[in-house]
Amino acid sequence: MSKLSGKTLIVARYEFLKTIKRKEFLFMTFAFPLILAGIAFIPPLLAGTTPAEDQSIGYIDMTDSFDFPEFSTSEGFSVGPLGAKASTIEFVKYEESSEARKALQSGQISSYLIVPEDFLETGVIELYTSEKGTPVPGAELSTELSNIAIDSLLKGSVDEPVLQRVKNPVNMKLYNVGDNGESSEQGIAEILTNFGLPFLMAFLLFFSIFSASGYLLRGVAEEKENRIMEVLLSSVTPSELLTGKVLGLGAIGLLQIVVWLSVVVFGGGYALPVKIEPMLLFISLIYFLLGFLFFASMMAGIGAVTGSLQESQQVAGIFTFAAAFPLVFMQFILTKPDSSLAIFLSLFPFTSPVAMLSRIGASEVPLYQIAASLFILFVSIHAVIVLSSRLFRVYLLMYGKRPGVNEILKNVRAGGR
Amino acid sequence: MHALEFEGVSKSFAEKNVIRDISFSVEKGEIFGLLGPNGAGKTTLIRLLLDIIKPDSGEIRVFGGSLGSAAKDRIGYLPEERGLYRKTKLLDMLIYLAQLKNVPKKKAHASAESLLKSLELYEHREKRVEELSKGMQQKIQFLSSIIHDPELIILDEPFSGLDPVSTKTVEDKILEYRNEGRTVILSTHMMEQAQKLCDRILMLNKGQRVLYGTVSGIRKEHGKNSLHVEFAEKRSLNLIREIQGIRKITEHDRSVEIFPEEGISAQAVLQELIRRAEILRFEQAFPSLNEIFIETVESASGE
Repeated sequence: MSKLSGKTLIVARYEFLKTIKRKEFLFMTFAFPLILAGIAFIPPLLAGTTPAEDQSIGYIDMTDSFDFPEFSTSEGFSVGPLGAKASTIEFVKYEESSEARKALQSGQISSYLIVPEDFLETGVIELYTSEKGTPVPGAELSTELSNIAIDSLLKGSVDEPVLQRVKNPVNMKLYNVGDNGESSEQGIAEILTNFGLPFLMAFLLFFSIFSASGYLLRGVAEEKENRIMEVLLSSVTPSELLTGKVLGLGAIGLLQIVVWLSVVVFGGGYALPVKIEPMLLFISLIYFLLGFLFFASMMAGIGAVTGSLQESQQVAGIFTFAAAFPLVFMQFILTKPDSSLAIFLSLFPFTSPVAMLSRIGASEVPLYQIAASLFILFVSIHAVIVLSSRLFRVYLLMYGKRPGVNEILKNVRAGGR
Repeated sequence: MHALEFEGVSKSFAEKNVIRDISFSVEKGEIFGLLGPNGAGKTTLIRLLLDIIKPDSGEIRVFGGSLGSAAKDRIGYLPEERGLYRKTKLLDMLIYLAQLKNVPKKKAHASAESLLKSLELYEHREKRVEELSKGMQQKIQFLSSIIHDPELIILDEPFSGLDPVSTKTVEDKILEYRNEGRTVILSTHMMEQAQKLCDRILMLNKGQRVLYGTVSGIRKEHGKNSLHVEFAEKRSLNLIREIQGIRKITEHDRSVEIFPEEGISAQAVLQELIRRAEILRFEQAFPSLNEIFIETVESASGE
C-alpha cells in the first residue's frame, strides 16, 4: 500500500459517510442486537407466562395406597432476569371415575388421574384431559407423581436420606482441572461461556467481516459497471483508491463490530450469566482488522476483474463459502479445539479469524499458535494486497469478457514491472 | 511551453498494437483535435496521457514533466464512457469529484453551485443522478470535468447525445476556455465541430498518425481545387455532367461540389459552366475535414 495521501483520506471519508447512510448498514448494525436481545428475553417471557396457571387435577386411587398432597407447588424453570413464576396444582380426590368425568366436563378440574389397581406391576398411571381447556404441564406432573409414588411405597420402611436418594439418585457436577491442578466447578454459565459465546463471537466476526468487505466489493463493481471509475482514475491512482476504500469501509466494519460486541458484553452480561474476558475482546478486534484486510483486498481484486456486480458477487461467493467453513464445523472445533483439523483451520488464512477465535473461546490455545496464525494472516494480507492492486491497475478499465485464470496470472506478473 | 508532448509512444494490449510510435505536441492555449475512426486508439491515447495506463515505450510529458499527482489536479477529463454515481446527490458528487482534485471543500461547494447555476441545473442540485434526463446527465458530466478550474481539459466526444442548444452551450464553453488561455484537447469524430473549433489536429488510424497539423494547413494541403457551384435552376445539374475534365461531382442541398481533374483550372471549368447554365454562386473551396477524414481512412483500408 502506498503512503497515506490526502486523496486517500478523501476517498476513505467519502466511502465511510456513504456507507453509514445506507439503510442495510443501519439495519444490520442496530437490528441485529435487537434480534439478539429478542432471543435472550422473549423465551423466558413466554416460559414465564404459560405454565404459571394454577389448576386443579382430580384423582382416583384404586390401589388406595397413594398419599396425594392437597397442593403441589412447582418452581418451573426459566433463564433470564425475570426468574420463574411458581404454579400450583391442587389435587382433588374422587371415588368413581364417573364423578371425576363430570367434574372435568363442568370445568371444576382440568384433568384427572387414575392409578389402576395393578400399578405396582405396571407402573401405569392414566391421565384424562378434556380436549379443550388448559394444557397440563406433563413433565412437571410426572416428576411430581414419581415423588408421590416413591413416598407412598417407601415411606416408613427406609430412612429419609435414602428416600431422597431414591427420588433424586445422582447429582452430576462437572469440574475442570486447570493447568495448575486447581479444579473449578463448571456451571451453566461456564458452559455458555465455553460454547455459546465463542460461537456467537465467531458468528459476529464472520458477519462483520463479510458485510464490510461486501460493501467494498459492491462499491468497486458498481463504480466499474457505471463507468465512473475512469473519472476517479483521472484524479487518483489505483492504490490511493484501493487504500481509501479499505480504510473507509474498515472503519465502518469496526464500528459495526464494536456496537455488536458492546451489546454482547453489556446486554449479554445482563441477560445471560456469562462473563467475557477483555483479552478475548481484544483478540477479536485484532482478528476483525486482519480478517477484514484480507477479505476486503481480495474482494477489491475480484470487483476489478469481473464485469458486473452480479458476476462479482458470484465469484466472491466461492471465497465467502471457504470462510464460512469453520462455522459449519463449529461444533467440532468447540468440542475438539486441539485436533489437527481445528489447528489447521485456525492457521489457514481464509478460515483463521473465525476458527482461531472459536478455539480461544473454547480452550487455552498455545501462544505460539496464535502468533503463527497472526503471522500467516499478515503475510497473506500483504500478498493479497500486492495482487489486488495489480489486478486493480490492469482490469479496472477493461470490460467485456471475463479474463481467464491464465491471463490474469500473466497480467499479475506483468503488472509487477 | 508545450502543454503536452508525446514522443514515440507505443502501447499494445494482448499482442495487438493499439498505439504505434505516436509523436505530437499540444501547445498551451489551443484547441487540439484528436480525430480518427472508431477503434483508432483515441481513448487509449488519452488514458496514456492521464497515466491510467502505462506506455510500452516512448515518453509522455505533461506540463513539461512526467505526470505527477499535482499535475493530475490541473487536468480535467470527460471520458467517452460517461459515468456518474447514480444514487448520490448532484451537489455532493460534484464536491467529492472536486475534492479528489485537491480543491478545498468550501471552494468546491462554491464552484459547484455557480457552475450548476450557469448551466441552469441549480434547481436539481439535491436530486440524484438517476432522476435526471440523459441530456442533463451529460451536462453534469461535462461540469464535473471542469469543476476544479483545470488548465488542460480533455473532452472525449463531448457532443454525443446533446441537443443543438446544449451543443452550442458546450461549444461556447470550449471557446471561452481557450480564450482564457487554457488548453483543450477535443477527441471526436464529429468533423464539423472539429473543423469549426480546433486550431490543430492529430488524426489517428489503426493506431498510427495519419494527419497532424493546423486545420487550415491540412485543408490547403488536401485541397484539390474543389469548386462550390450554385445554379439558379436545379435541372442544370444534368448539363454539367457533359463537361470534360470533371472527376467527381458531389451534390449538396443547394449547391454542387465539383472536383476538376488534375491540370484543369478552375477558370476553364467556370467558362464551361457559364455557357450552359445560369450561376448564382461560384466558389473555390478547400475540402472539409470530413472529406479528408473519409478519404484518408478509405485509402488506408484500400492498401
